[in-house]
Amino acid sequence: MIVHIATLLVLAASLVCSQARAEELVTSLSSNMVSIQSNFTGTEIVVFGQIIRDAHTVARPGNYDLAIAIEGPKQDVTTRRKKRFLGVWINRYYEMFKGVPSFYALATTKRAGELGDRSILDENGIGLNHLNLPVSGHSRVPLSDRDDFRKAFLRLRQEEGLYSERPETIEFLTATMFRTSIPLPANIPVGNYKVKSYLFQDGILLSKQEAELAVAKIGFEQLTYNLAQNQPFIYGLMAVLIAIFTGWLAGVIFRKD
Amino acid sequence: MQLYLPIAEIPVNIFVIFGMGGAVGFLSGLFGIGGGFLLTPLLIFSGIPPAVSVATVTTQVVASSASAVVTYWRRKAIDFKLASMLLIGGVVGSLFGVILFDVLQSIGQLDLVISLSYVTFLGAIGSLMFVESVRAIRRRKSGAAVSARRPGQHNWIHGLPFKMRFRQSRLYVSVLPILALGGIIGFLGTVLGIGGGFMMVPALIYLLRVPTSVVIGTSLFQILFTMSAATIFHAIGNQTVDIVLAMTLMIGGVIGAQFGARMGQNLRGDQLRLLLALLVLLVGMRFAVELLLTPEDLYSAIPSRA
Repeated sequence: MIVHIATLLVLAASLVCSQARAEELVTSLSSNMVSIQSNFTGTEIVVFGQIIRDAHTVARPGNYDLAIAIEGPKQDVTTRRKKRFLGVWINRYYEMFKGVPSFYALATTKRAGELGDRSILDENGIGLNHLNLPVSGHSRVPLSDRDDFRKAFLRLRQEEGLYSERPETIEFLTATMFRTSIPLPANIPVGNYKVKSYLFQDGILLSKQEAELAVAKIGFEQLTYNLAQNQPFIYGLMAVLIAIFTGWLAGVIFRKD
Repeated sequence: MQLYLPIAEIPVNIFVIFGMGGAVGFLSGLFGIGGGFLLTPLLIFSGIPPAVSVATVTTQVVASSASAVVTYWRRKAIDFKLASMLLIGGVVGSLFGVILFDVLQSIGQLDLVISLSYVTFLGAIGSLMFVESVRAIRRRKSGAAVSARRPGQHNWIHGLPFKMRFRQSRLYVSVLPILALGGIIGFLGTVLGIGGGFMMVPALIYLLRVPTSVVIGTSLFQILFTMSAATIFHAIGNQTVDIVLAMTLMIGGVIGAQFGARMGQNLRGDQLRLLLALLVLLVGMRFAVELLLTPEDLYSAIPSRA
């Protein structure tokens, strides 16, 4: 059912905006909102799309390539390295990556590095090796070690499931229609996401498109989180009262004397 | 069954958490302790962020001590005046604890300080308890008389100024050591996520010579309110109290405690203390191993809080 609706949406949208350029990319998400509730253990987002060629464009030889990236809100992440000090392992050096995506999942038709020129990939941040990861100015990490921190950062984020790169996961339904499903893990950060789609042919970026995706806690989870953030005193007081009540109740129920 | 924690922002298996609460509750009922020093490490080792573990266990300690305070209150085994003095120190100590907690977290040394403190305190107190309980068991076996409280005996603490009379404890001592004791335990409890009863009770008995009849009730009463303050301070300062996690632990804890308490009645006091000493040493050693062995991953990546 969802597939049909999405397909219709894609087709309808394609009729509207097919005049602008030679190749146009139209995409649609299975949902514009991911809600986190108490039973949330991760989900997946399905991206449908179509490549539209207008009548004047000559069909080019060669296949299309696609890259679809889901990017979470930006955040600062401190990466630390442990060093032995007086026999004990402690965090010694750190590097702060500023304004990096809190989540990054990339689906492509082939390996990210083969899609196009390095400069195009860097500019658009397509692929983990091409993400822009600026560091804060006041770092004491020796220049020769900077790359180790960058590698460790990317590795740790991948281990946590927050960054991923999945080549050959976009499926062509027809010559111009495609579909992919991108998993979102349970530990996904909340906020406003961007779904960026790129169309390549023979290493040339033909078209790009951007859609919005919101990840938000709803219901009790939202209420609790907002209260803890905005009214921390009331939240703390409530926690204490609940604890005292629970304890008192148990004391009364299991009364021995 | 997976349950998403709204503050920790990860899903956990609710039965595992409930079981942990129950197991620690059982031990706390068995030994007559709060169990924070067992629960916080368990949560940390199972993957809950240390900041959330520490703050949430302070809430769970409120529940477990409230449950026991009811009993001692009914028996009139609480010295409220002494508890209030300890509490003043405790709240101030707790406030400093939350401030330090925040600073340590921002410079990335919170985990280290928590581990080092656990090693130090659990190691020291575990060893003392171990030696004391082994001696007590030997004395009992050889039939020697157990030394009781000697009211006439004074130590250096009785030379301090600002003396105050505590009728129920039949004490006339300076408030300074009482405030200091409350302060230190409030401070450690807030940073480490423990009630501190296992430190408070021996200190009250051996340093201040509080009679054993009121010592546990008074200690519990002070822990109840110091940890309540710590919960509120953690909620304001770090927003790391996870109420869903706390509720699950509390319910498991109070149920486990009932079974533990029943079983504890069949064991001798000195045997219980020996078992507890071994348990304390074991947890301390677990932290020591973590600090000394080469970590599997030298790197860590932690997002800054918004």
